[in-house]
Amino acid sequence: MRLAFWILISRMVIIMAVMTVLYLGIVILNKSVRPKTGAKEER
Amino acid sequence: MDWILGSGLFGFLHLTWQAAVMMAIGGVLLYLGIAKNVEPVLLVPIGSGCLMANIPLGGAADAGGFLTVLREFGIVTELFPLLIFIAIGAMIDFEPFLQRPYTIFLGGAAQFGIFLTFFLGYALGDGWLHLLEFDMKDAAAIGTIGSADGPTTIYVSTILQTKYLAPIVVAAYSYMALVPIIQPPIIKAMINKQDRGLKMEVYVGATPQRVKILFPILTTVLVGLIAPVAVPLIGCLMFGNLLRECGVTKNLAVTSQGELANIVTILLGVTVGGMMQGTEFLKPETILVFALGVAAFALDTVSGVLLGKLICVLSGRKVNPMIGACGISAFPMSSRVVQKLGLEANPYNHLLMHAAGANTAGQIASVIAGAVMLMLTV
Repeated sequence: MRLAFWILISRMVIIMAVMTVLYLGIVILNKSVRPKTGAKEER
Repeated sequence: MDWILGSGLFGFLHLTWQAAVMMAIGGVLLYLGIAKNVEPVLLVPIGSGCLMANIPLGGAADAGGFLTVLREFGIVTELFPLLIFIAIGAMIDFEPFLQRPYTIFLGGAAQFGIFLTFFLGYALGDGWLHLLEFDMKDAAAIGTIGSADGPTTIYVSTILQTKYLAPIVVAAYSYMALVPIIQPPIIKAMINKQDRGLKMEVYVGATPQRVKILFPILTTVLVGLIAPVAVPLIGCLMFGNLLRECGVTKNLAVTSQGELANIVTILLGVTVGGMMQGTEFLKPETILVFALGVAAFALDTVSGVLLGKLICVLSGRKVNPMIGACGISAFPMSSRVVQKLGLEANPYNHLLMHAAGANTAGQIASVIAGAVMLMLTV
Protein backbone atom coordinates (compact mmCIF):
# COMPACT_ATOMS: atom_id res chain seq x y z
CA MET A 1 0.00 0.00 0.00
CA ARG A 2 2.95 2.31 0.61
CA LEU A 3 3.93 1.95 -3.06
CA ALA A 4 0.34 2.60 -4.16
CA PHE A 5 0.23 5.73 -2.01
CA TRP A 6 3.52 6.88 -3.52
CA ILE A 7 2.12 6.29 -7.01
CA LEU A 8 -1.04 8.25 -6.10
CA ILE A 9 0.86 11.30 -4.86
CA SER A 10 3.58 11.22 -7.53
CA ARG A 11 1.05 10.92 -10.39
CA MET A 12 -0.94 13.88 -9.08
CA VAL A 13 2.25 15.94 -8.90
CA ILE A 14 3.39 14.80 -12.37
CA ILE A 15 0.09 15.68 -14.05
CA MET A 16 -0.05 19.13 -12.48
CA ALA A 17 3.59 19.68 -13.48
CA VAL A 18 2.76 18.78 -17.10
CA MET A 19 -0.29 21.06 -16.95
CA THR A 20 1.92 23.91 -15.70
CA VAL A 21 4.34 23.43 -18.59
CA LEU A 22 1.43 23.40 -21.05
CA TYR A 23 -0.08 26.50 -19.44
CA LEU A 24 3.19 28.39 -19.74
CA GLY A 25 3.60 27.17 -23.32
CA ILE A 26 0.14 28.44 -24.30
CA VAL A 27 0.56 31.78 -22.50
CA ILE A 28 3.90 32.35 -24.27
CA LEU A 29 2.36 31.25 -27.59
CA ASN A 30 -0.60 33.61 -27.15
CA LYS A 31 1.66 36.53 -26.26
CA SER A 32 4.16 35.93 -29.04
CA VAL A 33 1.59 35.53 -31.82
CA ARG A 34 -0.98 38.16 -30.88
CA PRO A 35 -0.25 41.55 -32.53
CA LYS A 36 1.01 44.14 -30.07
CA THR A 37 -1.83 46.62 -29.59
CA GLY A 38 -0.90 50.23 -30.11
CA ALA A 39 2.42 49.43 -31.76
CA LYS A 40 1.34 51.11 -34.99
CA GLU A 41 0.24 54.27 -33.24
CA GLU A 42 3.58 54.55 -31.44
CA ARG A 43 5.48 54.43 -34.71
CA MET B 1 -30.19 -36.51 -28.51
CA ASP B 2 -26.40 -36.44 -29.03
CA TRP B 3 -27.03 -36.19 -32.75
CA ILE B 4 -29.19 -33.13 -32.23
CA LEU B 5 -26.69 -31.46 -29.85
CA GLY B 6 -23.77 -32.17 -32.17
CA SER B 7 -25.55 -31.11 -35.34
CA GLY B 8 -24.57 -27.45 -35.04
CA LEU B 9 -28.25 -26.56 -35.17
CA PHE B 10 -30.72 -25.74 -32.39
CA GLY B 11 -28.44 -23.23 -30.63
CA PHE B 12 -31.02 -22.70 -27.90
CA LEU B 13 -30.27 -26.20 -26.59
CA HIS B 14 -26.76 -24.94 -25.78
CA LEU B 15 -27.95 -21.73 -24.14
CA THR B 16 -26.32 -21.19 -20.74
CA TRP B 17 -27.72 -18.82 -18.11
CA GLN B 18 -24.69 -16.57 -18.57
CA ALA B 19 -25.32 -16.29 -22.30
CA ALA B 20 -29.02 -15.62 -21.67
CA VAL B 21 -28.24 -12.85 -19.18
CA MET B 22 -25.75 -11.25 -21.57
CA MET B 23 -28.22 -11.41 -24.44
CA ALA B 24 -30.75 -9.66 -22.20
CA ILE B 25 -28.14 -7.00 -21.38
CA GLY B 26 -27.46 -6.61 -25.11
CA GLY B 27 -31.20 -6.15 -25.61
CA VAL B 28 -31.34 -3.49 -22.88
CA LEU B 29 -28.44 -1.60 -24.53
CA LEU B 30 -30.25 -1.70 -27.86
CA TYR B 31 -33.47 -0.52 -26.20
CA LEU B 32 -31.68 2.39 -24.49
CA GLY B 33 -29.97 3.37 -27.71
CA ILE B 34 -32.95 3.07 -30.05
CA ALA B 35 -36.01 3.79 -27.90
CA LYS B 36 -34.50 6.19 -25.35
CA ASN B 37 -31.89 7.77 -27.64
CA VAL B 38 -29.14 7.28 -25.01
CA GLU B 39 -25.79 7.47 -26.83
CA PRO B 40 -27.22 5.50 -29.79
CA VAL B 41 -24.01 5.82 -31.80
CA LEU B 42 -22.26 3.73 -29.14
CA LEU B 43 -24.99 1.62 -27.61
CA VAL B 44 -26.45 0.23 -30.84
CA PRO B 45 -23.12 -1.25 -32.05
CA ILE B 46 -22.21 -2.40 -28.50
CA GLY B 47 -25.62 -4.02 -27.97
CA SER B 48 -25.46 -5.73 -31.36
CA GLY B 49 -21.95 -7.04 -30.69
CA CYS B 50 -23.05 -8.30 -27.28
CA LEU B 51 -26.00 -10.18 -28.81
CA MET B 52 -23.87 -11.79 -31.53
CA ALA B 53 -21.11 -12.79 -29.13
CA ASN B 54 -23.48 -14.65 -26.83
CA ILE B 55 -25.62 -16.61 -29.27
CA PRO B 56 -24.57 -20.24 -28.75
CA LEU B 57 -22.77 -21.94 -31.66
CA GLY B 58 -22.67 -18.62 -33.53
CA GLY B 59 -18.90 -18.54 -33.24
CA ALA B 60 -18.71 -14.77 -33.72
CA ALA B 61 -16.55 -14.35 -30.63
CA ASP B 62 -14.76 -17.73 -30.79
CA ALA B 63 -11.17 -18.13 -31.99
CA GLY B 64 -11.17 -17.01 -35.62
CA GLY B 65 -14.64 -15.48 -35.34
CA PHE B 66 -15.03 -12.01 -36.80
CA LEU B 67 -15.44 -10.32 -33.41
CA THR B 68 -12.25 -11.97 -32.19
CA VAL B 69 -10.43 -10.91 -35.35
CA LEU B 70 -11.63 -7.33 -34.83
CA ARG B 71 -10.51 -7.46 -31.20
CA GLU B 72 -7.04 -8.67 -32.11
CA PHE B 73 -6.76 -6.26 -35.02
CA GLY B 74 -8.13 -3.14 -33.39
CA ILE B 75 -8.05 -3.43 -29.62
CA VAL B 76 -5.01 -5.59 -28.84
CA THR B 77 -2.91 -3.48 -31.24
CA GLU B 78 -4.46 -0.28 -29.76
CA LEU B 79 -5.28 0.82 -33.31
CA PHE B 80 -8.99 1.68 -32.91
CA PRO B 81 -8.57 4.04 -29.94
CA LEU B 82 -5.77 5.89 -31.71
CA LEU B 83 -7.81 6.28 -34.91
CA ILE B 84 -10.72 7.55 -32.82
CA PHE B 85 -8.37 10.10 -31.33
CA ILE B 86 -7.55 11.46 -34.79
CA ALA B 87 -11.29 11.85 -35.36
CA ILE B 88 -11.85 13.51 -31.97
CA GLY B 89 -8.95 15.89 -32.59
CA ALA B 90 -10.46 16.88 -35.93
CA MET B 91 -13.82 17.55 -34.26
CA ILE B 92 -12.66 19.63 -31.28
CA ASP B 93 -12.33 23.38 -31.44
CA PHE B 94 -9.76 24.28 -28.78
CA GLU B 95 -10.45 28.01 -29.07
CA PRO B 96 -12.45 28.29 -25.81
CA PHE B 97 -9.50 26.65 -24.05
CA LEU B 98 -6.84 28.74 -25.81
CA GLN B 99 -8.71 31.89 -24.69
CA ARG B 100 -8.65 30.63 -21.10
CA PRO B 101 -5.37 28.73 -20.64
CA TYR B 102 -5.84 28.59 -16.85
CA THR B 103 -8.56 25.97 -17.43
CA ILE B 104 -5.77 23.45 -18.08
CA PHE B 105 -5.33 23.30 -14.29
CA LEU B 106 -9.01 22.42 -13.88
CA GLY B 107 -8.48 19.67 -16.45
CA GLY B 108 -5.50 18.38 -14.48
CA ALA B 109 -7.28 18.48 -11.12
CA ALA B 110 -10.31 16.69 -12.52
CA GLN B 111 -8.10 13.71 -13.32
CA PHE B 112 -7.28 13.12 -9.64
CA GLY B 113 -10.26 10.77 -9.55
CA ILE B 114 -8.26 8.39 -11.76
CA PHE B 115 -5.43 8.18 -9.26
CA LEU B 116 -7.69 8.12 -6.20
CA THR B 117 -9.75 5.30 -7.72
CA PHE B 118 -6.54 3.42 -8.51
CA PHE B 119 -5.60 3.68 -4.83
CA LEU B 120 -9.10 2.69 -3.71
CA GLY B 121 -9.24 -0.27 -6.10
CA TYR B 122 -5.85 -1.53 -5.03
CA ALA B 123 -6.82 -1.17 -1.35
CA LEU B 124 -9.97 -3.23 -1.96
CA GLY B 125 -7.96 -5.81 -3.89
CA ASP B 126 -4.46 -7.19 -3.45
CA GLY B 127 -3.15 -4.16 -1.55
CA TRP B 128 -5.13 -4.46 1.65
CA LEU B 129 -8.62 -5.97 1.96
CA HIS B 130 -8.22 -8.76 -0.63
CA LEU B 131 -11.95 -8.61 -1.38
CA LEU B 132 -11.32 -9.46 -5.02
CA GLU B 133 -8.34 -10.12 -7.26
CA PHE B 134 -7.25 -6.59 -8.21
CA ASP B 135 -3.52 -6.25 -8.67
CA MET B 136 -1.86 -2.90 -9.23
CA LYS B 137 -2.32 -2.96 -13.01
CA ASP B 138 -5.99 -3.94 -12.71
CA ALA B 139 -6.53 -1.08 -10.25
CA ALA B 140 -4.75 1.35 -12.60
CA ALA B 141 -6.91 0.22 -15.53
CA ILE B 142 -10.08 0.60 -13.44
CA GLY B 143 -8.92 4.07 -12.41
CA THR B 144 -8.75 5.16 -16.04
CA ILE B 145 -12.55 4.85 -16.24
CA GLY B 146 -12.29 8.24 -14.56
CA SER B 147 -10.62 9.68 -17.64
CA ALA B 148 -14.21 9.86 -18.95
CA ASP B 149 -12.70 9.05 -22.28
CA GLY B 150 -13.42 5.66 -23.88
CA PRO B 151 -10.43 5.50 -26.24
CA THR B 152 -7.99 6.43 -23.44
CA THR B 153 -9.52 3.77 -21.19
CA ILE B 154 -9.23 1.11 -23.90
CA TYR B 155 -5.68 2.12 -24.81
CA VAL B 156 -4.38 2.15 -21.24
CA SER B 157 -6.27 -0.98 -20.12
CA THR B 158 -5.00 -2.96 -23.12
CA ILE B 159 -1.38 -2.04 -22.49
CA LEU B 160 -1.77 -2.80 -18.77
CA GLN B 161 -3.14 -6.24 -19.76
CA THR B 162 -5.90 -6.17 -17.17
CA LYS B 163 -8.15 -9.19 -16.72
CA TYR B 164 -11.18 -6.89 -16.60
CA LEU B 165 -10.94 -5.18 -19.97
CA ALA B 166 -14.56 -5.85 -21.00
CA PRO B 167 -16.32 -4.49 -17.88
CA ILE B 168 -13.89 -1.55 -17.70
CA VAL B 169 -14.62 -0.51 -21.28
CA VAL B 170 -18.36 -0.95 -20.93
CA ALA B 171 -18.36 1.00 -17.64
CA ALA B 172 -16.33 3.80 -19.24
CA TYR B 173 -18.78 4.23 -22.11
CA SER B 174 -21.87 3.80 -19.93
CA TYR B 175 -20.88 6.42 -17.37
CA MET B 176 -20.07 8.99 -20.02
CA ALA B 177 -23.73 8.84 -20.99
CA LEU B 178 -24.63 9.20 -17.31
CA VAL B 179 -22.65 12.40 -16.69
CA PRO B 180 -25.88 14.48 -16.60
CA ILE B 181 -27.06 12.24 -13.75
CA ILE B 182 -23.77 11.81 -11.83
CA GLN B 183 -22.47 15.40 -11.80
CA PRO B 184 -25.39 17.73 -10.84
CA PRO B 185 -25.97 16.39 -7.30
CA ILE B 186 -22.24 16.62 -6.52
CA ILE B 187 -21.99 20.16 -7.91
CA LYS B 188 -25.10 21.28 -6.01
CA ALA B 189 -23.81 19.74 -2.78
CA MET B 190 -20.45 21.51 -3.09
CA ILE B 191 -21.45 24.92 -4.47
CA ASN B 192 -24.24 27.13 -3.11
CA LYS B 193 -26.80 28.74 -5.39
CA GLN B 194 -25.21 32.19 -5.14
CA ASP B 195 -21.86 30.87 -6.38
CA ARG B 196 -23.51 28.77 -9.08
CA GLY B 197 -25.06 31.96 -10.38
CA LEU B 198 -21.70 33.80 -10.68
CA LYS B 199 -21.42 35.40 -14.09
CA MET B 200 -18.13 35.30 -15.96
CA GLU B 201 -16.55 37.86 -18.26
CA VAL B 202 -17.29 37.32 -21.95
CA TYR B 203 -14.22 37.01 -24.17
CA VAL B 204 -14.32 38.99 -27.38
CA GLY B 205 -12.13 38.53 -30.41
CA ALA B 206 -11.04 35.40 -32.21
CA THR B 207 -7.83 33.47 -31.53
CA PRO B 208 -5.26 34.06 -34.31
CA GLN B 209 -5.05 31.16 -36.75
CA ARG B 210 -1.31 30.87 -36.13
CA VAL B 211 -1.99 30.09 -32.45
CA LYS B 212 -4.48 27.41 -33.43
CA ILE B 213 -1.94 25.84 -35.82
CA LEU B 214 1.03 26.03 -33.47
CA PHE B 215 -0.95 24.73 -30.47
CA PRO B 216 -1.23 21.06 -31.56
CA ILE B 217 2.39 20.98 -32.67
CA LEU B 218 3.62 22.58 -29.45
CA THR B 219 1.47 20.31 -27.29
CA THR B 220 2.72 17.14 -29.01
CA VAL B 221 6.35 18.18 -28.60
CA LEU B 222 6.05 19.45 -25.02
CA VAL B 223 4.01 16.54 -23.71
CA GLY B 224 6.07 14.04 -25.71
CA LEU B 225 9.32 15.35 -24.29
CA ILE B 226 8.02 15.20 -20.71
CA ALA B 227 5.97 11.97 -20.88
CA PRO B 228 7.05 10.01 -23.99
CA VAL B 229 4.51 7.23 -23.30
CA ALA B 230 1.81 9.77 -24.10
CA VAL B 231 3.01 10.35 -27.67
CA PRO B 232 0.65 7.91 -29.47
CA LEU B 233 -2.40 9.28 -27.62
CA ILE B 234 -1.66 13.00 -27.58
CA GLY B 235 0.05 12.79 -30.98
CA CYS B 236 -3.05 11.35 -32.68
CA LEU B 237 -5.39 13.80 -30.90
CA MET B 238 -3.24 16.77 -31.91
CA PHE B 239 -2.65 15.42 -35.43
CA GLY B 240 -6.43 15.36 -35.97
CA ASN B 241 -6.66 18.91 -34.62
CA LEU B 242 -3.83 20.07 -36.90
CA LEU B 243 -5.72 18.67 -39.90
CA ARG B 244 -8.68 20.79 -38.81
CA GLU B 245 -6.80 24.01 -38.14
CA CYS B 246 -3.96 24.15 -40.65
CA GLY B 247 -6.32 25.19 -43.44
CA VAL B 248 -4.69 23.17 -46.23
CA THR B 249 -6.08 19.70 -45.42
CA LYS B 250 -9.79 20.41 -45.44
CA ASN B 251 -10.65 17.09 -47.10
CA LEU B 252 -8.60 15.11 -44.60
CA ALA B 253 -10.25 16.99 -41.72
CA VAL B 254 -13.72 16.35 -43.14
CA THR B 255 -12.88 12.66 -43.63
CA SER B 256 -11.54 12.38 -40.07
CA GLN B 257 -14.63 14.03 -38.59
CA GLY B 258 -17.00 11.99 -40.72
CA GLU B 259 -16.11 8.73 -42.40
CA LEU B 260 -13.15 7.82 -40.18
CA ALA B 261 -15.05 8.60 -36.98
CA ASN B 262 -18.10 6.65 -38.15
CA ILE B 263 -16.22 3.61 -39.44
CA VAL B 264 -14.03 3.26 -36.35
CA THR B 265 -17.01 3.86 -34.05
CA ILE B 266 -18.88 1.00 -35.73
CA LEU B 267 -15.89 -1.32 -35.49
CA LEU B 268 -14.98 -0.29 -31.95
CA GLY B 269 -18.56 -0.50 -30.71
CA VAL B 270 -19.27 -3.93 -32.14
CA THR B 271 -15.89 -5.19 -30.88
CA VAL B 272 -16.51 -3.88 -27.36
CA GLY B 273 -19.93 -5.56 -27.47
CA GLY B 274 -18.22 -8.75 -28.62
CA MET B 275 -16.05 -8.64 -25.51
CA MET B 276 -19.16 -8.89 -23.33
CA GLN B 277 -19.22 -12.66 -23.14
CA GLY B 278 -21.00 -14.18 -20.16
CA THR B 279 -18.03 -16.17 -18.90
CA GLU B 280 -15.81 -13.08 -18.99
CA PHE B 281 -18.36 -10.54 -17.85
CA LEU B 282 -20.56 -12.13 -15.20
CA LYS B 283 -18.18 -12.13 -12.26
CA PRO B 284 -18.41 -10.45 -8.85
CA GLU B 285 -15.50 -8.26 -9.89
CA THR B 286 -17.65 -6.69 -12.61
CA ILE B 287 -19.96 -5.17 -10.00
CA LEU B 288 -16.96 -3.71 -8.17
CA VAL B 289 -15.51 -2.39 -11.44
CA PHE B 290 -18.79 -0.56 -12.12
CA ALA B 291 -18.92 0.76 -8.54
CA LEU B 292 -15.34 2.02 -8.77
CA GLY B 293 -16.20 3.60 -12.13
CA VAL B 294 -18.91 5.74 -10.48
CA ALA B 295 -16.44 6.58 -7.71
CA ALA B 296 -13.90 7.68 -10.33
CA PHE B 297 -16.38 10.03 -12.03
CA ALA B 298 -17.53 11.42 -8.65
CA LEU B 299 -13.98 11.96 -7.38
CA ASP B 300 -13.03 13.65 -10.67
CA THR B 301 -15.94 16.05 -10.23
CA VAL B 302 -15.12 16.72 -6.58
CA SER B 303 -11.45 17.45 -7.25
CA GLY B 304 -12.27 19.65 -10.26
CA VAL B 305 -14.83 21.65 -8.26
CA LEU B 306 -12.41 22.05 -5.34
CA LEU B 307 -9.81 23.63 -7.62
CA GLY B 308 -12.59 25.66 -9.24
CA LYS B 309 -13.45 27.05 -5.80
CA LEU B 310 -9.81 27.91 -5.16
CA ILE B 311 -9.50 29.69 -8.52
CA CYS B 312 -12.79 31.48 -7.79
CA VAL B 313 -11.34 32.88 -4.56
CA LEU B 314 -7.93 33.71 -6.07
CA SER B 315 -9.55 35.51 -9.03
CA GLY B 316 -11.73 37.68 -6.81
CA ARG B 317 -14.88 35.71 -7.70
CA LYS B 318 -14.43 36.23 -11.43
CA VAL B 319 -14.51 32.49 -12.13
CA ASN B 320 -17.60 30.37 -11.53
CA PRO B 321 -16.39 27.34 -9.51
CA MET B 322 -18.79 25.07 -11.39
CA ILE B 323 -16.56 25.07 -14.47
CA GLY B 324 -14.12 22.97 -12.41
CA ALA B 325 -16.54 20.07 -12.85
CA CYS B 326 -15.99 20.33 -16.62
CA GLY B 327 -12.35 19.38 -16.20
CA ILE B 328 -13.42 15.80 -16.84
CA SER B 329 -13.21 15.11 -20.53
CA ALA B 330 -16.80 13.99 -21.06
CA PHE B 331 -17.21 16.47 -23.90
CA PRO B 332 -19.69 18.11 -24.41
CA MET B 333 -22.02 16.54 -21.82
CA SER B 334 -20.24 18.11 -18.88
CA SER B 335 -20.34 21.60 -20.43
CA ARG B 336 -24.06 21.24 -21.00
CA VAL B 337 -24.59 20.20 -17.37
CA VAL B 338 -22.79 23.32 -16.10
CA GLN B 339 -24.58 25.60 -18.58
CA LYS B 340 -27.92 24.21 -17.38
CA LEU B 341 -27.05 24.56 -13.68
CA GLY B 342 -25.77 28.10 -14.28
CA LEU B 343 -29.04 29.11 -15.95
CA GLU B 344 -31.04 27.51 -13.13
CA ALA B 345 -29.19 29.65 -10.57
CA ASN B 346 -29.23 32.83 -12.66
CA PRO B 347 -31.31 33.07 -15.87
CA TYR B 348 -28.74 35.48 -17.41
CA ASN B 349 -25.73 33.31 -16.65
CA HIS B 350 -24.32 31.71 -19.82
CA LEU B 351 -21.30 29.59 -18.95
CA LEU B 352 -21.18 27.32 -21.99
CA MET B 353 -18.01 28.69 -23.61
CA HIS B 354 -16.15 28.87 -20.29
CA ALA B 355 -17.26 25.33 -19.50
CA ALA B 356 -16.21 24.19 -22.98
CA GLY B 357 -12.76 25.66 -22.31
CA ALA B 358 -12.38 23.51 -19.19
CA ASN B 359 -13.95 20.55 -20.96
CA THR B 360 -11.51 20.61 -23.89
CA ALA B 361 -8.65 21.15 -21.44
CA GLY B 362 -9.93 18.04 -19.69
CA GLN B 363 -9.71 16.15 -22.98
CA ILE B 364 -5.99 16.90 -23.16
CA ALA B 365 -5.47 16.28 -19.44
CA SER B 366 -7.26 12.92 -19.52
CA VAL B 367 -4.99 11.69 -22.30
CA ILE B 368 -1.93 12.76 -20.32
CA ALA B 369 -3.33 11.23 -17.12
CA GLY B 370 -3.86 7.93 -18.95
CA ALA B 371 -0.29 8.03 -20.15
CA VAL B 372 0.91 8.84 -16.65
CA MET B 373 -0.83 5.68 -15.43
CA LEU B 374 1.03 3.77 -18.13
CA MET B 375 4.25 4.66 -16.38
CA LEU B 376 3.43 1.63 -14.19
CA THR B 377 4.59 -0.48 -17.08
CA VAL B 378 7.82 1.34 -17.92
